[in-house]
Amino acid sequence: MRNLAFFLYALVCLAAITWPGLGWLTARAPALVLGVPTSLAWNVGWVVLTFFVLGAYHLTGRRR
Amino acid sequence: MSGAIVVSVCAVYLLACVALGTLSSRGKAASTSLYVAGDRGLGLLLMYFITGATIFSAFAFLGLPGWAYSRGAAAFYILGYGALGFVPFYFLGPRAARLGRARGFVTQAEMIAARFETPALAGVMALVSAVAFVPYLALQMKGAGLVLETVTDGAVPEALGAAIVYGVVLVYVLKSGVLGVGWTNTFQGVFMIALAWGLGLYLPALRHGSVTAMFEEIAASRPELLAAPGLTSSGEPWHWAEYSSAVIVSIIGFSAWPHLFMKAFTAKSDETLRRTVLLYPTFQIFLVPLFLIGFAGVGFAPAPDQADQILPHLLMRLELSPWLVGLFCAGALAASMSSGDAMLHAVASITVRDGWVTALSRRLSPDRELGAIRALVALYLVVAYGVAILYDGSLVFLLLSAYGAVVQFMPALIACLYVERATGAGVLAGLLGGSALTVLFVAFPELRPLPIHAGLYGVTLNVALLAGVSALGRPRASSQTFLREAAGADAGQ
Repeated sequence: MRNLAFFLYALVCLAAITWPGLGWLTARAPALVLGVPTSLAWNVGWVVLTFFVLGAYHLTGRRR
Repeated sequence: MSGAIVVSVCAVYLLACVALGTLSSRGKAASTSLYVAGDRGLGLLLMYFITGATIFSAFAFLGLPGWAYSRGAAAFYILGYGALGFVPFYFLGPRAARLGRARGFVTQAEMIAARFETPALAGVMALVSAVAFVPYLALQMKGAGLVLETVTDGAVPEALGAAIVYGVVLVYVLKSGVLGVGWTNTFQGVFMIALAWGLGLYLPALRHGSVTAMFEEIAASRPELLAAPGLTSSGEPWHWAEYSSAVIVSIIGFSAWPHLFMKAFTAKSDETLRRTVLLYPTFQIFLVPLFLIGFAGVGFAPAPDQADQILPHLLMRLELSPWLVGLFCAGALAASMSSGDAMLHAVASITVRDGWVTALSRRLSPDRELGAIRALVALYLVVAYGVAILYDGSLVFLLLSAYGAVVQFMPALIACLYVERATGAGVLAGLLGGSALTVLFVAFPELRPLPIHAGLYGVTLNVALLAGVSALGRPRASSQTFLREAAGADAGQ
């Protein structure tokens, strides 16, 4: 279950940082968000989110 | 006077690298295991900086701002693939490390050759690694030489600059092996991070008032630069298929690079390896200021001759303090050296262990093996220097072909560590077929049916051949034991 959840997250992340996710965002979002390009903020967001998700995966694995 | 300050800052930095690199192995007995794998005792700090600083190459300080400057959001793919790029290593690394501890492996190719009892695999991988690393190393040298030449207004020519910088690398890699690489990378990593953030915030503020003001100006004057997938090198809109496939290929291939994967055999424990992967995104975030530096150059007149020169071009034209220029120069040298030293160390180790010992079954005494690796460190350095100075053709073409081939190692690694049904013939067929198709499509991109990255075609063929040829044969009886040993504590999860 834990492995499947992480695998699904990785697929969602991959779709988000490539087409269609990033394409969808580029077509709809404003050029800038928080003073930086939206696509830059989006990529940084996924790097940070993956850090926490992998961290959670790691910690739950250690408890097992 | 200002030139003297710049050169002095660089000289102090280079002396610090020599001191740190040569002292790092003091008091330790010389052996191949220590030289190549640090006696499998590297802790989290060294592992973090070895993997992080190795990735921060001359490209990061020169090419990446150049991409942001000329191709805009296309450069963000490098940040995007970093989200998942090291994740495969979280799973593969500890398995490889367990096998390394149990069976004495120090390279990925000798592990794969042992699993499939096919020494030819190690030979092919050693050859591909050598072909991949020489142009890569030559590019690092050219980057170091170019920076010194630019900031000294030609007083230090490119060839001399590259020779001085890589003379320093030679000293500490010869003396201390992976420990020299590790401790200098730690120093270089901290230095690069501080400098990247300093310049990344300072240059936009100097040119536009703030980062936000800079992007607002670009959004008004060059909006096409800010929208993904950005532009091609000729200024046309980049294709989503090319952008997306570049991200996917980079994720697949990232962990397979031999100088990174070999670090699985250097870590003190599985936990250290996993934590290294966990912390890697913090290094990836350090690329952000380098994008800012590139965007700070948009609209700057006069434009540089080549986009890759935007950072040194800005520094020289904005009449900044020579201390700052000297620090930038040292930072760029650090980026070049921190990748170059790891590659040099890896390719020499791979040639001896995978090519000579495993593929050709030539046994060497421990002393002779270590001597051979050290001799090859010097030889590869000379060859790469010759390529950097004498070769006028496209190094980038060689590099792209080699990168495409290295990406093909990933299916072999997964098959080696997870797939009982895989056979040596299948892995070899996949590796050769995938590499050949990638090189073909890199050389003749117009032959591609769809505008996707050549490496993705290669990986697809690789997996198909691996599965198809393996289905025709029978796996080795020893496969089960090998995989059980690899699974270790993972078994049952």
